[in-house]
Amino acid sequence: MTTPSSPPHHDRLSPPPFDSELAAALAIVAENIPSSLLPEMIPGLQSGAVLMRPSDDDLRRGGAFEIEERTVPGPEGAPDISLLICRPAGVTGPIPALYNIHGGGMVMGDNRTGIEATLETAQELGLAVVSVEYRLAPEHPHPAPVEDCYAGLVWTAEHAEEIGVDRERIIVGGSSAGGGLSAAVALLARDRGGPALAGQLLACPMLDDRNDTVSSLQMAGLGVWDRTSNDTGWTALLGERRGGPDVSPYAAPARAEDLSGLPPAFVDVGSSETFRDEDVAYATRIWQAGGQAELHVWPGGFHGFDIMVPQAAISQAARAARTDWLRRLLAR
Amino acid sequence: MKELAGRLTALDPDAGAAVRVIAYFDRLLETRAGLEALVRGAAVLAGCPARLADEKRGVHIRVDADGRRADDEGPADPAWLSAPLTPDGPPALWLEREGPAGVVDAMVLERAAASIRAVLDRTRGSAPADAAGDQAFVEVLLDASASETARLHAARRLGLRPGVPARVVALAGGQALIQSVPPSGAASPPGGPRAGVGPAVPLLDLPASWSAALVALRLTAEGTEQDPGPRVVHADQMGGLAVLAAAIGPGSDPIPDVHALDRAAAAAPWMLATLDAVASQSSLRTAATALHMHHSTLQDRLAHAEQVLGWSVHGPQGRLRLQLALALRRLHHHAPAAAAVSDRPG
Repeated sequence: MTTPSSPPHHDRLSPPPFDSELAAALAIVAENIPSSLLPEMIPGLQSGAVLMRPSDDDLRRGGAFEIEERTVPGPEGAPDISLLICRPAGVTGPIPALYNIHGGGMVMGDNRTGIEATLETAQELGLAVVSVEYRLAPEHPHPAPVEDCYAGLVWTAEHAEEIGVDRERIIVGGSSAGGGLSAAVALLARDRGGPALAGQLLACPMLDDRNDTVSSLQMAGLGVWDRTSNDTGWTALLGERRGGPDVSPYAAPARAEDLSGLPPAFVDVGSSETFRDEDVAYATRIWQAGGQAELHVWPGGFHGFDIMVPQAAISQAARAARTDWLRRLLAR
Repeated sequence: MKELAGRLTALDPDAGAAVRVIAYFDRLLETRAGLEALVRGAAVLAGCPARLADEKRGVHIRVDADGRRADDEGPADPAWLSAPLTPDGPPALWLEREGPAGVVDAMVLERAAASIRAVLDRTRGSAPADAAGDQAFVEVLLDASASETARLHAARRLGLRPGVPARVVALAGGQALIQSVPPSGAASPPGGPRAGVGPAVPLLDLPASWSAALVALRLTAEGTEQDPGPRVVHADQMGGLAVLAAAIGPGSDPIPDVHALDRAAAAAPWMLATLDAVASQSSLRTAATALHMHHSTLQDRLAHAEQVLGWSVHGPQGRLRLQLALALRRLHHHAPAAAAVSDRPG
């Protein structure tokens, strides 16, 4: 969608201030992650210097989870994909599952990136977590990433019984690019008559390749994943089509004309990040289409604040809100 | 993503970490962060629980290493790393980890304590700089004729929490201490001044607690051979002695039993301590033990004492007479000064 009204014409848009604790932590976070990522920095980011990869033991959380890596068929004519399956230890019978799509701007990360927080929630709620390894841009542009994610979801639903999952209660979710891919997978499932999803958890999702909202302009050069980084990520995924007229809603869900008939959505975002306006708009458009969404805008939050500074008061509140939504969703 | 503590400890402690700790707390101060954020900063950067306890202002905050508020009013372990809020003050900020402190820990403690002090001064007023400043607020709080607003303001400045009862401790020398109940420390430390302890009351009733504390103070003794007896007396344990105290003013003449005690005191240096032990212990045997003397020695001394006093202290009536005489002697020694009769500390 286009910006509803032109941004005010200041030399520089004044950004909303960062939350106090997040601002203090940002100085330390920013040493590892510059605000503006450029295409030439992608190989360095992919080498894993930034993202810490949890070990098998980390994933088991002291024996709370049993873990398994499964190789399953990828999209038609594409290579197999790998699913990381984490099940609460000793639990039999079908349980709800979170189908997790990792973040990393479409260009980095793997199916263990940021999964520890997800597992913490899953442990609290008794969920299985299935995390998909998808091909990354720019080596694999659209539609490779989203089709890999969708293929993994289809396999999970079709083999739900085999892996002890209740196929009626699969929630797709992820942060950042993972949130965008989750929204896209929900659209694909709707349009292809695929697995019925119980919900979509879109944490600070990356939804709009046009990258021209007020928030994206306001936060240029600031915080985490600014306008330049966003440009880098979308261009890696879409090449020259980025921002043009022919971008698929399965690449950039903000492009979808129709947001009706989707599973209940949870959307959260910081007020001090590039994605603020596109994420608020997405939730708004779901309501306008007669759907159900819960929207949280955390004041002064930068992109991914709850993952990078989990101890801050506002991060604790954000994570609690997500857990709470899942609990209510699954109680139905 | 790595967490902050991991990022910091992974840094070269000499070069990078200290600078980052300083910047972290400076930034929190710039953005007017609250106390909890500062304590959380200490916990997260040090990677262990941190707690702040400022008794003067009634502030207690504890945050665990995950940043969660987890208050615990239990005592701090003396082995933990700690820092005071003022250079010569008591420990007020702790990292719940035993020493020795690494470079990062020491810097976290120092910067967190300095930041907390700045926030406390800004939001809750400066800590009383010295006893004189302190006493001015105490004076208002103990002045029944001062307005309730003024007294409650003074109570806040002294770190008393509304709704939590308090008591006044009257110290020999005229100073008054106000303590929340239950108190965090002794009324008077060993070797400190004599103390009369008033009853616990609502904050606005503290003038009455002060009056009672002053009466209790009159019943204290130095605890020496020449002035034996308790150094600390609680007003709510005085019973009828309070009535006795009211009867003894500056111009009252001592009764003959008090003169008899003075004569006895002049007769032998051990006399008063011996009589006090006999009056306050449950039996002669325990009195002898308290005096570190053989039972028969005590019997010999008592025979001598009874001769000088003119009455027997072996029976219950004689012991009561002795107790009253000892109490009266203290009350005469610590006569209420004209000023001390009022509700004002001296």
